[in-house]
Amino acid sequence: MKYILMMLGKKADWDEYARWSKEDLQRNVAFMQRFNKELHEAGVFLDTKGLAWPQEAKLVRAGKNGEPITDGVFPESKEFLAGYWVIDVETPEQAYQIAARASAAPGPGGEPGNMPIEVRQVLSSHSDLGL
Amino acid sequence: MKYILLMSGTKAGVDTYRAWSKKDIDAHMAVLAGINRELTESGEFIATQGLAAPHEARVVRGLKNGMPITDGIFPESKEFLLGYWIVDVATPERAYEIAGRISAAAGPGGIPTHMPIEVRQFAIRPQSPDRTEQES
Repeated sequence: MKYILMMLGKKADWDEYARWSKEDLQRNVAFMQRFNKELHEAGVFLDTKGLAWPQEAKLVRAGKNGEPITDGVFPESKEFLAGYWVIDVETPEQAYQIAARASAAPGPGGEPGNMPIEVRQVLSSHSDLGL
Repeated sequence: MKYILLMSGTKAGVDTYRAWSKKDIDAHMAVLAGINRELTESGEFIATQGLAAPHEARVVRGLKNGMPITDGIFPESKEFLLGYWIVDVATPERAYEIAGRISAAAGPGGIPTHMPIEVRQFAIRPQSPDRTEQES
């Protein structure tokens, strides 16, 4: 079963992250690299990506002629995707265990960040939606 | 430049979609499949995935002992990721163009859904705005 583990945050969360000390950032990055390596070795790793900053995000809609209309205005409450992992595991519980480890990644001062991680199953085909 | 095009919606939006006729869904999926095919031919396609229904979503937090705490309660206004495309394009404008085409995919009665598509560039590694190091 494929799952996507998503780190989401509001702009205010990103602003806070931008103020982390270099040492805190390095500790967090080192954890993530080790975590990814372990997922790899466990044979569950498929992909991980980090996204660029929310202020660069654009919302696109099709205009009447199909041309793209871009807009970069979002409500304060908007949750932006910060990054994700795609994993292939046997059970949902295994996905939750891995998400919990990502959630415990060190934050400022080396304390666990306890960041919420949204866990969603990835469909192998559209028919999985049961429509 | 790699971009991710994110399609999101609220639970209410997903319920509306689930009420579409089979014909409308098939027509919609045919447009999306056509876009995927074209992106593959142009060499811009990297990946696309659809996610399971929002009611299966769980939020997980880790405790100090590493035990997962799961929770499936979300505000009504919560936007759930429904699916995404990853493309490798020459310019941001090209990413917006592709997002515009996805947004124009036909919905009920063949009318374009005009669904908003969030377009985001990937970062190489965690970074802050004054240490921008974009993949090019």
